[in-house]
Amino acid sequence: MIISGSILALDRANIDTDQIIPARYLTGITKSGLGQYLFTGLPDGPGLLATKPGARILVTRENFGCGSSREHAAWALVDHGFQAVIAPSFARIFHENAYNNALTPIVLSDELIELALRAKSATIDVEQETLSLDGGAPLSFSLDPLRKQFILGGGFMRYLASKIPTIRAWEIASSQ
Amino acid sequence: MGKSLFEKVWDRHIVEQLPGDNALVFIDRVVAHEITTPQGALEIEHDFGDALYDPQRIVAINDHVSPAKDADTAIQAQVLRVWAKRHGIRLYDIGDNGICHVVVPERGYVEPGMTLCCGDSHTCTLGAFGAFALGIGSSAQGGAMLASCLVLSRPKVMRVHVTGKLGNGATAKDLALTVIASIGFKGGTGYVLEYTGSAISALSMEERMTLCNMAIESGATTGIIAPDETTVAYLRGREQQPSGAEFDARAEAWLALRADEDATYDTSVAINGSAIRPVVSWGTNPGESAPITGTIPSDADPTSLTYMGLEAGQALRSIAVDQAFIGSCTNARLSDLRAAAEVFRGRKVAIPTIVTPGSQAVRRAAEREGLHDVFQDAGALWTHSSCGPCLGMSMGVIAPGTRCVSSSNRNFPGRMGADGRVHLASPAIVAASAILGRLGSPDELEPLPLAQSRGIAA
Ligand code: SF4
Repeated sequence: MIISGSILALDRANIDTDQIIPARYLTGITKSGLGQYLFTGLPDGPGLLATKPGARILVTRENFGCGSSREHAAWALVDHGFQAVIAPSFARIFHENAYNNALTPIVLSDELIELALRAKSATIDVEQETLSLDGGAPLSFSLDPLRKQFILGGGFMRYLASKIPTIRAWEIASSQ
Repeated sequence: MGKSLFEKVWDRHIVEQLPGDNALVFIDRVVAHEITTPQGALEIEHDFGDALYDPQRIVAINDHVSPAKDADTAIQAQVLRVWAKRHGIRLYDIGDNGICHVVVPERGYVEPGMTLCCGDSHTCTLGAFGAFALGIGSSAQGGAMLASCLVLSRPKVMRVHVTGKLGNGATAKDLALTVIASIGFKGGTGYVLEYTGSAISALSMEERMTLCNMAIESGATTGIIAPDETTVAYLRGREQQPSGAEFDARAEAWLALRADEDATYDTSVAINGSAIRPVVSWGTNPGESAPITGTIPSDADPTSLTYMGLEAGQALRSIAVDQAFIGSCTNARLSDLRAAAEVFRGRKVAIPTIVTPGSQAVRRAAEREGLHDVFQDAGALWTHSSCGPCLGMSMGVIAPGTRCVSSSNRNFPGRMGADGRVHLASPAIVAASAILGRLGSPDELEPLPLAQSRGIAA
């Protein structure tokens, strides 16, 4: 799986999920249609998005996605067209949500983040775990080996469904 | 090598080790609310034949916007209702509901040693009972309903050892804010906070819930506190608990669940509980707080200050507020309402003030004590239970640029309404601020005539 496209740089740390999508837009029952509300919790968010209409890759700073567990944050990013988020660190729940929605979360060192924030575009090879900025030499990153499979094939729910017999057997064994 | 309490609970629930640092973790109880459950439930219906692993392990609650405020939120609640009914899942709904993190313990759905999850970050509240309880996204929530398991990487454990005893007007909320300020608002990322020490054992269950509720505000996976007699006494007689010998047998097992004497932790912090003073947040994350008698630190983050319309060095007690809110899963249980009522009794609010009980059961208990009269006599609005303005969705959303002092847990930009500003504090500080019209504490209020302070009608 190759993700290739222009970068939107959000040069800020600690973007919480209320800023990614405010609670007033959490009134649906499906995962779709939330892209239009992306970053409306950031005063300059919509303006920033408008500068890079076709961006596929978001680059930002540490602790991205902290706060509320709302998966709507990942859905809004995906619905808007993002396929990968690059940051020095992610909040736990957002990190899991990203994997569960095939929004590839890439952790890079602070040093490489500086380069990525200045780059115009990137090409990401999810399988090989490499990325190239503006056509430059490939940099490597690492993904969670299990959750990577959720991105590449079938998704998280399907994986869990395949485990149900094991889980039932464990439950019976552990209650004895 | 001894084990921490968290490790013991974790180890008992591992179905299988998975590639990487991951494990398949069995989940004993799934809590479902109307904002984050329908998506996973619909996916199971479409893709997996509507089969849930064990509906009896699920409890559903309409809480975030209840009653609905418009057609969309009505649909969310209705989807939860219809789904729960179809699967025979117990649903707490209008009239008998409340914020899920308040309802679940008060009905006795949480027990020491359990694992629980909910598509809501403040599920960590339930760690107060010695359970491993965590917030997750809607897909993971769907997975937990489909297979009663989560895929988790094992968190590290941070011991937060609090010695001494809270006093001098300091509450569990002040402790929670102090812990976040000392470890940093991302300092808990990757950890479970295991709270120990004399100041922790002295807390009531309601106070422990306030403390654990805010574990997520340091980025932590959750918080956890060892069960003891206080825990047992709280759970005895609750709706979902058995009585008599069956309960006693459970209680015995719970009391045996604790960290080993020689438990090792990945990291530890020590806090002197006796030194904690009432605090209030001044910035845009819960780690940015300071004692109410103090000033905004000179090294305060300028971005936070610009958003909040404040300056470094400013006295916190000089900050005028436009609205006060007592509510949320952090501080809207009976003891919180009593603490607020103590301050309101015989006085009048200077700004619009909303008091929202954590559940309908709390509401009824408060009314039996006449607290609703105290709030309304003071000029505050006494509402039914819901999440309300805590998340800026209904029942008191604040206007851009205005400032609300709140007993809730998040002060992120726009949290309680677009461009609104939030100051977090304990119910007593919120109540005092409501009367003063600025941030302030109960000790600043004019003493009342004796008869009035005893609640005797003049
Ligand atoms: S009261 Fe606030 S923090 Fe608690 S569950 Fe409701 S919205 Fe979330």
